[in-house]
Amino acid sequence: MADIEIRVQSNAFAITYGYPETLNGRTDIGAVVSFTGLVRDFNEAPEVTGLSLEHYPGMTEKTLHAIAEQAWQRWPLQAVRVVHRVGHLQPGDPIVRVLVASAHRRDAFQACDFIMDLLKTEAPFWKKEHAKSGDYWVKERHTDQADAQRWSSS
Amino acid sequence: MNLTHLNAHGEAHMVDVTDKAETSREAVASGCVFMQPATLALLVEGGLPKGDVLATARIAGIQAAKRTHELIPLCHALALSKVSVDFLINHEQHCVEVSATCRLTGRTGVEMEALTAVSVACLTLYDMCKAVDKTMQIEAIRLDSKIGGKSGDYRRAGYASEAPIVTGEGETGEVSLRERCPTAGVRVKFLAELRERLATSESFVSLDELPRRDIAGLKAVLAQRDPRFALLNEQRILCAINQVMANDTARITDDDEVAFFPPVTGG
Repeated sequence: MADIEIRVQSNAFAITYGYPETLNGRTDIGAVVSFTGLVRDFNEAPEVTGLSLEHYPGMTEKTLHAIAEQAWQRWPLQAVRVVHRVGHLQPGDPIVRVLVASAHRRDAFQACDFIMDLLKTEAPFWKKEHAKSGDYWVKERHTDQADAQRWSSS
Repeated sequence: MNLTHLNAHGEAHMVDVTDKAETSREAVASGCVFMQPATLALLVEGGLPKGDVLATARIAGIQAAKRTHELIPLCHALALSKVSVDFLINHEQHCVEVSATCRLTGRTGVEMEALTAVSVACLTLYDMCKAVDKTMQIEAIRLDSKIGGKSGDYRRAGYASEAPIVTGEGETGEVSLRERCPTAGVRVKFLAELRERLATSESFVSLDELPRRDIAGLKAVLAQRDPRFALLNEQRILCAINQVMANDTARITDDDEVAFFPPVTGG
């Protein structure tokens, strides 16, 4: 059974989310890699005062699960945790966290990288940034597409 | 900060919006009618002499939104694309919370329409209940949020409703309920930026209308209904059937949920 947990929530999550719970006395885990994404105070506009995250309930969870499942098939993993916030966030707030546990570091690094790349191009989230100069929907980035494509060629 | 309804001589005038760009706009306003607990109980049971209080107040609010320009001297007449009035019974504070949402694509904001809808819905609640309770108080009529327009988005400090985190029908912050379609057909959702550009969140297309039962056929029907939907053909717009990514040739069947949305920007 794949040990995968996906969460989409409007509440804040701890910066250590998934870490202590996943280890919890286990001694077979050799590597834990985690990534935490935070809200920046500058992006397309300077002085971003906050952002609103919309999503497509149902599809969001399904997509994140499918991504984690793909990672599970691709690398020998021991646990995958993904948490993503929706709703209103302020600069400095953690917005996403991916944690991957494996016996060896290389698999954990790659799987974590893979999950973030696919999350950024496939999971139905949309950011609207609030800046001093007004509000705008964040534009998709071609670099994100290129990052995700790295995984389909190898 | 200037008062836009006063001209250089300090006289009241209507703002010239001819040169303003048409953008998608939305405003949410709310208010409260406080009453005796017994009155609220009667209202909930439907035991008041004038009949269904909330249904009447809802219609009154919607009608009022459409007539705002007749009531407020310097308001423009607007072709609203959506007006909804909702009620929440608050038993703890024995009041009815009224909220109104107005939407359109146009040159001026819709906050006056939302505020008028709430005000008149509150007044109607009062009228419907006054036979049994003269102590009722109408309070806290105010703008909760405003989206679109030059001055940018506004959100009242302490406005509890959580973000537009959920797209589609239903109130913001609430997961929309899956209702069965009235006839064989598909529900179509427009999400995020696309919803704002189209000034609509949901549509229904019956299967009979479709020239071909796939996404391309659905886009054709929508574009025929309203030229705005032509933008669904933009290369960057994505589509999902029953929450699975789909392309133009993907088949659609009865009771499918089809969603159109811009490229994703999470993480």
